[in-house]
Amino acid sequence: MLTLRDIRKSYRIGPTEVDVLKGVNLEVQQGELLSIMGQSGCGKSTLMNVIGLLDRPTSGSFMLDGAEVSYTDDDALSEIRNQRIGFVFQQYFLLSRLTALENVALPLIYRSTTGTDHHHRCMDLLKRVGMADRAHHRPNELSGGQQQRVAIARALVGSPSLILADEPTGALDTQVGGEIMDLFKILNAEEGITVVIITHDPGIARQCKRVARMQDGVILP
Amino acid sequence: MIVSANLQEAARSLLSAKQRTILALIGIVIGIGSVIAMVSVGRIVQDEALRQFKEMGTDILTIEKDFGGSPGGGPSKAPASLKLADVAAIPPACPAVAVVAPSVRGSGEISFAGKRLERAAPMAVTASFLDINKLTIREGRFLSDLDQQSQYCVIGSEVADELTKLGARPLLGSRIRVGTHLLTVIGVTSEVPTGGMRRFEPNEMIYVHITTGLRIFANAELSTIMARVRPGATNDLAREQLAAYFSRLKGPQVRITSPEEIIAQMEKQMQMFTLLLGAIGSISLIVGGVGVMNVMLVSVTERRREIGIRRALGAKRGDIRGQFLIESVILSLVGGLFGIVVGVGASWLIAHFAQWQFSLSLGAILLGVGVSSGVGIFFGFYPARQAALLDPIVALKSD
Ligand SMILES: Nc1ncnc2c1ncn2[C@@H]1O[C@H](COP(=O)(O)OP(=O)(O)OP(=O)(O)O)[C@@H](O)[C@H]1O
Ligand SMILES: [Mg+2]
Repeated sequence: MLTLRDIRKSYRIGPTEVDVLKGVNLEVQQGELLSIMGQSGCGKSTLMNVIGLLDRPTSGSFMLDGAEVSYTDDDALSEIRNQRIGFVFQQYFLLSRLTALENVALPLIYRSTTGTDHHHRCMDLLKRVGMADRAHHRPNELSGGQQQRVAIARALVGSPSLILADEPTGALDTQVGGEIMDLFKILNAEEGITVVIITHDPGIARQCKRVARMQDGVILP
Repeated sequence: MIVSANLQEAARSLLSAKQRTILALIGIVIGIGSVIAMVSVGRIVQDEALRQFKEMGTDILTIEKDFGGSPGGGPSKAPASLKLADVAAIPPACPAVAVVAPSVRGSGEISFAGKRLERAAPMAVTASFLDINKLTIREGRFLSDLDQQSQYCVIGSEVADELTKLGARPLLGSRIRVGTHLLTVIGVTSEVPTGGMRRFEPNEMIYVHITTGLRIFANAELSTIMARVRPGATNDLAREQLAAYFSRLKGPQVRITSPEEIIAQMEKQMQMFTLLLGAIGSISLIVGGVGVMNVMLVSVTERRREIGIRRALGAKRGDIRGQFLIESVILSLVGGLFGIVVGVGASWLIAHFAQWQFSLSLGAILLGVGVSSGVGIFFGFYPARQAALLDPIVALKSD
């Protein structure tokens, strides 16, 4: 479902150009559970932001579900993020003013279809991640692991076909991290959602069907 | 994008930054408040002037000698003057005219017992003058048509007070010097509120009979005639008959003014006045608007992370722009509502102390609501645009 060919990304800082991605080639099949590992600073997050259409590469070709991604139409990119991609970040990125339930419902606000079943769907998802009893709590009343569960529910609410998780367990202890990882495995196994996880933790990587190693801006073959 | 969710969001985010919101509100409240106060005071003054004018009666035409354009007559050639007999002949000649009241303004030093009366002004009138100007007598009697060429005068209430202060007791029978003539007071008119729509200040007048005035005033000339229209006849008809009459006379050119014209002219002037006041108020509104813009810009900067999160979750640029626009419009509207209250309150106070009749103008309120949402959109647009143009990843990475 993802095909990246010679993806390059460079940042210009003053007069010097810094190459972060130096020709990434990567293919991800539908239903894969893939982890990307690599040293800090090798460009994993940059790559994930490109895959998640949050950032645009300097050059290269990126095919998503068989179609070349066009970066000219910003609204179309938003729509793809909204409909097909679920994000899970290391820092959770929940909105602190909203309750857990409202955070989960957030992606649905940006859909043109006005569903009446939003509430039920969001509650179901919170139940699924084991957070139903905290639905009306705000993020600052939740532990890190709990916040990450809410974030996963939020990533799932739009029924995405791809979940991108950038060090989802990075701020959690091994046990809670393991529970989060179990959630991803279940989603992948039961619903066939493609999951891409960036991690430093070999224990996490070992649980994935495939591990891609990244070094200095390229994916090792 | 669901509007109600957006509204709720906007309210919540405004409430979460209370201090800042309140500061911006104060600016907009003062801005809208001053526009509303200015405009509604303008309206009140306008209504007041019209009311006073209408109280005088809307059935009175004013005929003035037109000094501007006598046909064929150059400025050096003095135009012919109106004759008293011609004026007296108006009602028989013009059936639509019931009564006429010619008058002559005089000049000259006025004194009593050797002391100058600074604020008094002489005027020569006929018996019909009292009625047509809605004046009444407080003491003694008014001039009658039997007082032709007499040395009698009737004085306004303020002149009477002045005389009393100077020791005139009894008032009636006191003698006032006008120029070189001594006039005997035979009556005093009742006080009328100052600032009315008359072209003279009734309380400060010394009236003599018109025949006397024409004789004793220096350069006296019959220049103004008031004509009351007969009940049942229209102002236009009376005006036509008068115009025909004066053109038959082949005397001086006259200009006939109807109350409608004066009202229209007054309204035009008052509109300008109201507009001017509104413009002055708008300056503070601009200051308030800049305050809103400032608050919104700070809000955008502070919420970059939130913007990034929303963008990652699928918010389009337009959604972000809408969110911030709604926020600034709500801010301005709430400010506007308070501003309306403040503005109306201020204009009530002004009207109260100036003893004008207060009226609540719906226009001013609509103006307040309209202007404040306009301010919200105008001054919120730039910050909202800034927010919408933020790159998702840059916004997400900022703290
Ligand atoms: N906006 C930017 N401007 C300039 N350089 C950047 C920018 N963003 C990232 N970089 C650089 O790109 C490189 C890769 O960053 P990236 O965040 O992708 O690393 P990472 O592999 O995710 O590291 P970590 O494991 O520590 O999260 C780093 O050297 C970083 O300095
Ligand atoms: Mg990273």
